[in-house]
Amino acid sequence: MKKILAIILSVITLASALCLLVACGGSNDGKIEISIGFWPENSQTSDVQMYNEWKEKFEADYPQYRIVASPYTYSPETVSAKGNVGKLPTIFQTYFTEPDMLIGNEYIRPITKQLNALGWLDKMDDNMREQLTRNGEIYGVPRDGYGMGLFINLEMMYDIGAIGQNDDGTYQLYDEDGKPLYPTTFDEIENLSRLVCEFYEEAYGIIILSATKQGGWQLCNIGWNFGAGDLQTQQSGTWSSNLADPGMVRALEWVQKMSQEGLCYPSASLTYNDWPAKIGSKQVMMAFVGNDALSQPITSYGFNKDNFAFVPMPTGDGTSRYALFGGTPYVFAENATDEQVEGALLFLKYIGRSPETDEISVSALKKGFEVAESKDMPILPTIKAWKDSEYLTLANNLENEHINVNYAYMKDFFDTIYDYRRKEEPNYCQDMYGLLDNAIQNVLSDKSGTANPTALLQTANLNFQNQFLKRLNK
Amino acid sequence: MLPPLVLFAFFIWAPLIQNLAYSFFSIKRFECQDFIWFENYAYVFSDPAFKSALINTFVYAFWSIVIGFLLPLFLGLVLSEVIHFRPGFRCMLYLPSIISGVAVMLMWTQILDGSSGSLLNGLLGLFGVEPVQVLMDKNLVIPVIVLVMTWRGAGATVLIYLSALQTVDNSLYEVARLDGANLLQRLFHVTLPAIKPTIKLLFILQIISVFQVFYEPMVMTAGGPDNASISLMYLCYKYTFLDNNPGAGAACGVILAVIIVTLSVIYFKLSKREESV
Repeated sequence: MKKILAIILSVITLASALCLLVACGGSNDGKIEISIGFWPENSQTSDVQMYNEWKEKFEADYPQYRIVASPYTYSPETVSAKGNVGKLPTIFQTYFTEPDMLIGNEYIRPITKQLNALGWLDKMDDNMREQLTRNGEIYGVPRDGYGMGLFINLEMMYDIGAIGQNDDGTYQLYDEDGKPLYPTTFDEIENLSRLVCEFYEEAYGIIILSATKQGGWQLCNIGWNFGAGDLQTQQSGTWSSNLADPGMVRALEWVQKMSQEGLCYPSASLTYNDWPAKIGSKQVMMAFVGNDALSQPITSYGFNKDNFAFVPMPTGDGTSRYALFGGTPYVFAENATDEQVEGALLFLKYIGRSPETDEISVSALKKGFEVAESKDMPILPTIKAWKDSEYLTLANNLENEHINVNYAYMKDFFDTIYDYRRKEEPNYCQDMYGLLDNAIQNVLSDKSGTANPTALLQTANLNFQNQFLKRLNK
Repeated sequence: MLPPLVLFAFFIWAPLIQNLAYSFFSIKRFECQDFIWFENYAYVFSDPAFKSALINTFVYAFWSIVIGFLLPLFLGLVLSEVIHFRPGFRCMLYLPSIISGVAVMLMWTQILDGSSGSLLNGLLGLFGVEPVQVLMDKNLVIPVIVLVMTWRGAGATVLIYLSALQTVDNSLYEVARLDGANLLQRLFHVTLPAIKPTIKLLFILQIISVFQVFYEPMVMTAGGPDNASISLMYLCYKYTFLDNNPGAGAACGVILAVIIVTLSVIYFKLSKREESV
């Protein structure tokens, strides 16, 4: 028996050792490997094929490199597990709110020198560049930006009689004087929501998020538009939290009113993953979303791409109108070498994500549109990562040729986003959103209507100051 | 002797000791940096979410005894009396246990959704009842989650009770009948004492498992509304992976372990005293 056990254990040990050798053994052909975290998943066959074509071209032009697919969808829950064992891809996507955490934990590295060498530094959008800069070093390359706006189901808006329809089936989003018929104030959202609830038996005006820090994310923008100032301020080196700003209180009071009157979807645990399904199934008419997520109800829930409008965030006090502005940057693993970073940056040109306007970039941009069209995906306007005029002309012209949604329904948003955009708060932003989530959940779950928004925000404010900002004031 | 020791040391003791060490250090990339004494514990105790999680965990335990412990016992007793179609009933009871836990929670979240279009509210609407939002009600959310947990887990527990009930000596029932004992008297004086060891074992396992409630509130309510359903285990996860504060997560884990060990010791002491009496 002992002998059999010893043989089994020896075989297992030998097999494990072999596996380790195979796993750890790198290539020995001297090529520099670049693992690509934003590589599409295997199920997205046409995208994988497109990436393989780009890889072939790149490896032919730069034979010293080898591109390796390493699909990784970023999430705060998984990055630490990968980062702690040095298994993050050479280049991967994240959010603009994440660099502080990623840098603090030494998961990513600066790339200023490499960007400078390519001449890309001055071509980067100033706002995005600022969001990726810490202590004078740049930690990423922006892919694109998003601004928050209001998604409206126009079919429902027509059904409730809020807008008319033209002979060609398009919707009339403006009156005869050119004044918008879509809601431009939070009072108008409330009125429209009331019409929705009266017209439909099982539908609500709007979805208000309240969980996984996304409720706080949206409440910030609503608060700014009710006149809230900066939610974190620094005086004489000391950071103070202002979550109970009167503008924030008015914003939460608006949420409370919507909830009490049954005008918003009744749940206190909705996340950003929920809105496409609720919109797609006509359970709600409106949602606050980022422009980079507009295609989700269309691709995942069969929503008609000609039936939605995306308009600027409404104002609460008649004067304040901001759009929370964030986005997606590419960042580089802390253990990536200079050569790997240089190669990864060059590869961005081959996939049309660089500020270059040469033949390779143009062909990559065109290929991207072709594949999207072949999949019948909605092609929507984007907020560009680069400010270089030559690049902007090229990218905008190509985009305009391929946009396959009704641009008139979102023109106001894209015309004004650069004027209204406002970046997220500077410190412990996600933690701040989490505390605001609690305040929103309190208001949404309170049937009696006695929840006190001022007191709830004061509690959130105190907790944020004591738990987080206090660390900066040491 | 050596292989099991090595396995235990590697998979059980090392992580336990490492977690204890983490709770006294500032952590970067899951490596201890500076010894910070009780700072992680101070952070956890000063977090209002910890107070909610601690209270909630005991509330989970209470409801899991009321619903999750008594219901399977009752079902086991009833099923042991069933003569016809017993395998069918067993199969039906066990069926939810083979479904993925996360899938069960997602399904019930949809059923219990607060909108007027959800299955629950649709059914209530047939009887003219206004839509209810049980997952948004701070007082109802924990009992509802425990009910769903019981729906999923009761089948397995019932089978254990059934097998214990089958070991009860039939002659004891016959003697009790001869002595004129009615159904309830037979239950309390024969059946329950006979399966007492199983009941005790399942009771302590129930308490230990409910103290580790994690994915159920995470999937159904994300710990809300306003931390009304957050558990200590979920808070540990939240500190470590969502807030990226492994030190606080480790401290929270140590506190949870201390509570479970204390409760287990108290329980076994009481059991021992009872046995000696």
